[in-house]
Amino acid sequence: MNPEFQRNLWLELGPRRVLLMIVVLGLVFFAAAVTGGDFGPASLAQILYYLIVVVWGSRNAALSVVGEIRDRTWDAQRLSSLTPFEMMWGKLFGSTIYNWFGGAICLAVLLGYRFTQHDAASVAISLVYYLAVGVIAQAAALLASLVAVRRRLTHSRFDIFTYQLVGLIAAVAVFFVWEAADPAGALLVGRKSTESVPWWGQTLDARSFLLVSLAIFTAWTLIGCYRLMRLELKMRNGPLVWLAFLGFIGLYVAGFDGWLTQRQATLRWDAVELRLGLALTTYAVLTYLMVLLEPKDRVLYRWLGSRLGEGSIRSALWNLQAWMMSYFAASIVAIALLVRLTATEGGFGADASLLVSGMGCLTRDVSIFVLFQTLPGRRRGDFSAVIVLIALYLVMPYILRGMGLDAGLAYLYPQVTAPLWLGPVITWAEAIVVAAVAIGRIALSERAESREPALA
Amino acid sequence: MIEVRDLTYEYPSKRALDGVSLRVAPQTIVALVGPNGAGKTTLLRCLAALEPPFSGAVSIDGRDTRKVPREIHERLGYLSDFYGLYDDLSVRRCLLYAARSHGIAPALAPAVVEKAARRVGLADRLESKAGELSRGLRQRLAIAQAIVHEPKVLLLDEPAAGLDPQARRDLSQLLLSLRDSGMTLIVSSHILAELQDYSNEMIIIENGRLVGGQPIKVRDDERPRYVIELATARSDLRQFLSNAGVDVVEADDHRALIVLTHNAGARAKLLRDLVAAGFEVASFSAATKELEDAYFAQLGRRP
Repeated sequence: MNPEFQRNLWLELGPRRVLLMIVVLGLVFFAAAVTGGDFGPASLAQILYYLIVVVWGSRNAALSVVGEIRDRTWDAQRLSSLTPFEMMWGKLFGSTIYNWFGGAICLAVLLGYRFTQHDAASVAISLVYYLAVGVIAQAAALLASLVAVRRRLTHSRFDIFTYQLVGLIAAVAVFFVWEAADPAGALLVGRKSTESVPWWGQTLDARSFLLVSLAIFTAWTLIGCYRLMRLELKMRNGPLVWLAFLGFIGLYVAGFDGWLTQRQATLRWDAVELRLGLALTTYAVLTYLMVLLEPKDRVLYRWLGSRLGEGSIRSALWNLQAWMMSYFAASIVAIALLVRLTATEGGFGADASLLVSGMGCLTRDVSIFVLFQTLPGRRRGDFSAVIVLIALYLVMPYILRGMGLDAGLAYLYPQVTAPLWLGPVITWAEAIVVAAVAIGRIALSERAESREPALA
Repeated sequence: MIEVRDLTYEYPSKRALDGVSLRVAPQTIVALVGPNGAGKTTLLRCLAALEPPFSGAVSIDGRDTRKVPREIHERLGYLSDFYGLYDDLSVRRCLLYAARSHGIAPALAPAVVEKAARRVGLADRLESKAGELSRGLRQRLAIAQAIVHEPKVLLLDEPAAGLDPQARRDLSQLLLSLRDSGMTLIVSSHILAELQDYSNEMIIIENGRLVGGQPIKVRDDERPRYVIELATARSDLRQFLSNAGVDVVEADDHRALIVLTHNAGARAKLLRDLVAAGFEVASFSAATKELEDAYFAQLGRRP
């Protein structure tokens, strides 16, 4: 047996705790059955499943690594010969084994009841859903904690709650999307149930599509945990998995162009432009997300610079951070969309102008994140960068509009300007200035230390 | 066994190690000393492949820590200065987990657990919970976890901190027995007296740099050091000892620190010759402050 899983079994599944769970849940279900109130045993089992597996389980998953760091046992674990995969699943399912034990009792009651009302296939689909929502919540919480571990050494109770919250948000998203396709459940969320999903021009059965999507996103979350565990165990990750994810997520989201046109009949873009736009938006969001989450390591940036300077392109590409790859993906899609828009608009039109301005803003914004990591007090660099972006996108526009200086908005975010080339020139000028300052500060710190970084 | 070349490590606001180079031979115990904040723990973490160097290279048993960190992890044991234990697990389960997570097969694990527990004197506590052990016994359990898989290299960061004199003595004997069984050990401490008992060499770190540029030999079991003290000063003490074929480390008119073969007959002859030459020998004994002497000699200052 996986030693990490075994250790968690020893700690979590002691006879007293097992008995306690059986007795407490047994009494609760018995009480629900005999009182016959609004909540029968099946409804109660569903609520308890979410509480035990999703809410409590995601907390335990979030604590599985952070708790080891807090208790000073993580170094000893990292020095074991366990593989990242063994460590990942040993922690994910080991730290939550008590929750899964309680969840299994709840599922037995819930699905046993459903079996009397529905056919076996429907019960099996429900079983897959409940297992998936539990795994995705716990895996997302573990993923968030592993991301945080790379950024800081100490973790307060509030920090741990935020990692748990990521798991809960993932579970809530899955719940609402799933319920929307459930004729009975859709009533709960106050919407008409969705029977079909338009995707890449095909009309697919909503439940089947969501079930497959859920399985795929669960798999990607687990892959993310595995990759971060590799880093924790001091192994290196190449770029291929993230590139594969970018390819998947771009294609997945781009397929929803039909869903957009269903809801927005006045869209002037054709299917190809919409798909490119959706993929571009996804990559831009991922760029922002990853530049915020990843440690912006000036040692790595200097090393990348030296590799590129020496012409070791392959070596440099192998060590790119996820935000860099996302940015490059966004740039490639943006160029494709620009070519397409220029062709359909018969020249450099308003949409093309907004697109180029948007890429300028994206470049400026990621440069701000990097720049703030090179300034004194860089431990709070990300926070400062977020404050600057809030000022740029929310506060300053409000002030400029109040003062009647709407023309100044082009300095903050993409705007249609007259002439059309002015907006792109402004945002790209800002981007180049911020990027140059950031790169300059990284290079200056290298000269100050006069050492050759050696990461490869 | 351990080779460090021009190792530099940086924290965001500080260079913790600056161009450290050293080489540690197999089956030796090296003392890593220096003031608090000198870089001892950082060096140990770099050796353990827990921190990647900013520049330079570290190799353990011929393996580069950057290229194959997991192979390094398999081959070494590491006890950090602030270690944790699974308080709710029994000593046996703590050791079983350590053994299994270091790749010991399930069928062999119980035997290696018994062996590790015997080595650290915990054989009669196997069923006690880790949380119920005293500080000294917890330290022993932590060491047992670090050695349960018989690593080639053992890194110990302040292992004797907080131990009583008897526990320190037991620790010294344990470390010597581990060395004799084939392990290479690096032991960090800022208490020189405790390192004296077992270390062969000393590495002094100060402000992230290796003082003296290399490990200093502080104890040679084949050629130990002795101190001769005279009741009456004699200016020719050094000359006499040199003429007698003795290696003199340092000497003045009252006292000499010498290196002599580990041979009782040779010591008896030298003592006889000294007395015959009219030296009033007040004491002739094994040097007990070799490490401390070497430390302050390197730093160029006396306590």
